[in-house]
Amino acid sequence: SARAAEILARDGPNALTPPKATPEIVKFLKQMIGGFSILLWIGAAFSWISFGIQLAQGVDSAFDNLYLGVVLALVVILTGIFAYYQEAKSTNIMASFSKMIPQQALVLRDAEKKELPADQLVVGDIVEIKGGDRIPADIRLIFTQGCKVDNSSLTGESEPQSRSCEFTHENPLETRNIAFYSTTCVEGTATGIVINTGDRTIIGRIASLASGVGNEKTPIAIEIEHFVYLVAGVAISIGVLFFIISVSMRYKILDSIIFLIGIIVANVPEGLLATVTVSLSLTAKRMAKKNCLVKNLEAVETLGSTSIICSDKTGTLTQNRMTVAHLWFDNQIYSADTSEDQTTQPFDQSSPSWTALSKIVTLCNRAEFRPGQENLPIMKRVVVGDASETALLKFSEVILGDVMSIRAQNRKVAEIPFNSTNKFQLSIHETDDPHDKRFLLVMKGAPERILERCSTIMINGKEEPLDSEKAEAFQTAYMELGGMGERVLGFCHLYLPENEFPEGFQFDTDSMNFPTSNLCFVGLLSMIDPPRSTVPDAVSKCRSAGIKVIMVTGDHPITAKAIAKSVGIISATSETVEDIAKRLNIPVEQVNRREATAAVVNGMELKDMSSEQLDEILRNHTEIVFARTSPQQKLIIVEGCQRQGAVVAVTGDGVNDSPALKKADIGIAMGIAGSDAAKNAADMVLLDDNFASIVTGVEEGRLIFDNLKKTIAYTLTKNIAELCPFLIYIIASIPMPIGTITILFIDLGTDIIPSVALAYEKAESDIMNRRPRNKRKDRLVNQQLAVYSYLQIGIMQSVGAFVTYFTVYTEQGFLPSTLLGVRVDWESNAINDFEDSYGQQWTKYQRTYLQWTGYTAFFVSITIQQVADLIIRKTRRNSIFRQGLFRNKVIWVGIFSQIGIALILTYGLGHVTALNFTPLRFQYWFVAVPFAILIWVYDEIRKLLIRRYPGSWWDKNMYY
Amino acid sequence: GLILLFYLVFYGFLAALFTFTMWVMLQTLSSDIPKYRDRISSPGLMISPKPDTALEFYFNRSDSQSYSEYVTTLQNFLESYNDSKQSQNIECTSGKIFDQSEAAVKKACRFNLSELGQCSGKEDANFGYSKGTPCVLVKMNRVIGLKPEGEPHIQCTPKEEGMVNINYFPPNGAMDLKYFPYYGKSLHAHYLQPLVAVQLAITPNGTKEEIAIECKILGSPNLKNQDERDKFLGRIAFKVLMSE
Repeated sequence: SARAAEILARDGPNALTPPKATPEIVKFLKQMIGGFSILLWIGAAFSWISFGIQLAQGVDSAFDNLYLGVVLALVVILTGIFAYYQEAKSTNIMASFSKMIPQQALVLRDAEKKELPADQLVVGDIVEIKGGDRIPADIRLIFTQGCKVDNSSLTGESEPQSRSCEFTHENPLETRNIAFYSTTCVEGTATGIVINTGDRTIIGRIASLASGVGNEKTPIAIEIEHFVYLVAGVAISIGVLFFIISVSMRYKILDSIIFLIGIIVANVPEGLLATVTVSLSLTAKRMAKKNCLVKNLEAVETLGSTSIICSDKTGTLTQNRMTVAHLWFDNQIYSADTSEDQTTQPFDQSSPSWTALSKIVTLCNRAEFRPGQENLPIMKRVVVGDASETALLKFSEVILGDVMSIRAQNRKVAEIPFNSTNKFQLSIHETDDPHDKRFLLVMKGAPERILERCSTIMINGKEEPLDSEKAEAFQTAYMELGGMGERVLGFCHLYLPENEFPEGFQFDTDSMNFPTSNLCFVGLLSMIDPPRSTVPDAVSKCRSAGIKVIMVTGDHPITAKAIAKSVGIISATSETVEDIAKRLNIPVEQVNRREATAAVVNGMELKDMSSEQLDEILRNHTEIVFARTSPQQKLIIVEGCQRQGAVVAVTGDGVNDSPALKKADIGIAMGIAGSDAAKNAADMVLLDDNFASIVTGVEEGRLIFDNLKKTIAYTLTKNIAELCPFLIYIIASIPMPIGTITILFIDLGTDIIPSVALAYEKAESDIMNRRPRNKRKDRLVNQQLAVYSYLQIGIMQSVGAFVTYFTVYTEQGFLPSTLLGVRVDWESNAINDFEDSYGQQWTKYQRTYLQWTGYTAFFVSITIQQVADLIIRKTRRNSIFRQGLFRNKVIWVGIFSQIGIALILTYGLGHVTALNFTPLRFQYWFVAVPFAILIWVYDEIRKLLIRRYPGSWWDKNMYY
Repeated sequence: GLILLFYLVFYGFLAALFTFTMWVMLQTLSSDIPKYRDRISSPGLMISPKPDTALEFYFNRSDSQSYSEYVTTLQNFLESYNDSKQSQNIECTSGKIFDQSEAAVKKACRFNLSELGQCSGKEDANFGYSKGTPCVLVKMNRVIGLKPEGEPHIQCTPKEEGMVNINYFPPNGAMDLKYFPYYGKSLHAHYLQPLVAVQLAITPNGTKEEIAIECKILGSPNLKNQDERDKFLGRIAFKVLMSE
């Protein structure tokens, strides 16, 4: 063990190094300088500089600038902390996921067996494993006993693989004498030597491969960046423009800098990024309720812009359990119910053949329910036994009731379990009829093998000789069921003659002292892992939503195609090249590939394909199934899809899927079947493994994109109403209409809750009937949105606010005409007998107080008009009345909060000088109401014209 | 093209709307008095002459250039109080509010410059600046409808004793009630607000340093002079530095 410690020191612990996390402080600082923060920092810096200069000059109002700088810095820091906290919260959900229970390993060291934590293992250790254990490292086996391992997380093979000491293949992944780290031993025991630990294990290498795949920016991150650039561009260019204008108008440089700060503050929607984060996390919460757990908030929207979903079959599209799908007896195929929660089976059960068949199904079965589950629905109970037997057990339990007691009544006297050489399973039972002392021999197995052993066939309960015509019927049925990708089993029985096999006869399964031929064929049962019942609907939703669903599976092409057809991935009318060839009876090569809309691509073909060929397949076929693919090929498929410019969502559960999950625009890991590595690499975890959940996720993602548009439009609008005062103040030299602090109270006070409320808005029309948005063309903030918000509604708001402003001044004695050009005298501290239009004289403080009243009036007007703005933003196309004014209650919470906050600021805090609010005459609240109504009416007209004249000039310019 | 036209129409409409609402708003106003006067319920005080720099008088009594600006300002200011300009103004009863709310045409009360005594500019064209007795006129801001109660008068106090002796014209710095109320520019075109001249007789001690003086309106319960935030409400502080 000294040696072990040495090696441990050399190789490090036997654990995967977690992906390098960005240090928390870096994440935090990123929030501090990201987005608009940098602009606001500049604003704060300017404020402090001008404070310094003014202080040196001994100006009384210097401290205003100090406070403003502090407030701006606080705004940045608080929103930064908020965003950081939001992000940390969503990351934490995942952290809990990836936490693993510390694993123990049984190690032989210093000639004694010890339990050691698995991370203490070193190369050369001898470990013992038994059924149910996780393999603690890559080990070469030196002793095995019936050992089988489940490599599915590594290679995607769903069947357990047997392991022995023999070296069978050059490739370590193929050879039988190596078991891999993090796979599980299903049954048997084994002893092995550790050959690789930690990151050098196969899985470690894949994990590092996954972290090597670059993490690309999410579409919404790109959109928000675009939006930030746009707004920052507007802010800086207007700021600089007016800096130049004010300097050339002979304002002092210092004043010009203060104007610049005002313009920046007015232009930057301080609260917006926080609002976006909140909206996204609200959606994330909603999605989590629908079983989509989102790791990265931005992935919420990515799902909405998805244009291709590459989905696994097993477990995602299907229920991941074999279920009896069809029966064939009395020369007829019956379908069984394959839904998740079956309680009865609807097919005709009156035939005596069925009675015989059901008996075989019940008796010739080794699977059993785990005890103590009587209260669970049958479909949910845990069964000991393989997949087919489980299916048959549950099937008979559903139809016949208590299978165990039926079996007890028909005591088993002998049994030959299934093996791969004879391909059948046989058992002999006493019958439950006390007068019938015969033994019943029941057998099931591969249909052709079973048929070989039969000489008669049961039709309507009567044994009839098996002639060629009946054999033909069997063949047809068998082919038909097999062609549906189902696993078919044949069933036969024989009542052993009482005279030859009397009561108490000793059956010997080794010498087979009983007949195994000339049996009576009873019927066929076929099984499949059926699609989840919600999936076909979800697939058709994807189809109407313009999302291409590609199935990627390791399964056989026939099964894959059958499932694809039954869920609608391959629609009923479309054909593959092979189908066309078969229909037209021509060789596959002669078929025009363009005619085939569907394609089933085999993994072997894919291996030999160039990327151009793959591109061609992805382009030309709308319905694609990749069968027999390895998880590695998934990555190739994902890259192929991305080359088409698609936003690709990929599902995966295995470790080997993690590179593909990372590479995909949105990787979706399975919550139940998924490995930790897959969950780590994914952006989203599907808690119920159900494909349909992805589709609800897509719906939410699209909705949030629309709603963010509305939120941004809402927020941007009032920026103009905040900016115009500055511009007019500079140009017309009127008393300042609104203060910088007041602006912050709008941006971070009254406007916050309403803009979040828009995230609760329901979709206007069926968003799932729309094509996915084009990454390059359908921007979050497009020109129409900016123009409509800035140049139309924003200007209307400004006009409304200015009317209130002038009303306040006029009614106090300053007619609009007297206000023009008064700025210098108005702001002079030395002038305390400033004359108004009526000959009255005002002190500086009286004027300042009036100015604050103006701020408050302006603020109130913007708030009132923002109510109208909020209402019109509920829809972009439909009339508000169609959307329903009251359907989204949160909007009303928003409106009341908006007005409530404004009331508190005006009347509650109206006496706090630093905030620059004053109690306002009540009627001034209503001056802007006509303008608010005008905004609403105008927007209704806009929407009406858009609906009335689609594609027109108006539609193109006014629809955002 | 269409875009430009659209915005032309759109902004044209908004401009018209703005003009219209402003017009409607202006229609509701009276041209005589403002709708609300609550923001100036109490008047501020102001002085004349008013130095450009923050109410600080610097002059040399022997250098006429140094105070000529003050003198001119005073002369100009008192121009409107000349007897010739006050011909239409009437003599009113002293000590009583001159309420003429019934009258259609509001009359202005005469303010005789002689009341300002040595500071009227008649006896001393230099308003005392050359003699070391500079005059400063204190006036109260015009506020429509203001009716002072009691016996309002101006009182000025230097911060430090012994540097200056203060004389008031009219005596006691009284502001006669007959000049109130004011009816506004349009109704009361010839109105002249009452003045109080403060003559600062600077003592030889007072020539070396700045003298800080604060004037307040006293004797009237409805004229505020102690507002924390408004340093000019019913009071005014200024500094004088005279050199020889």
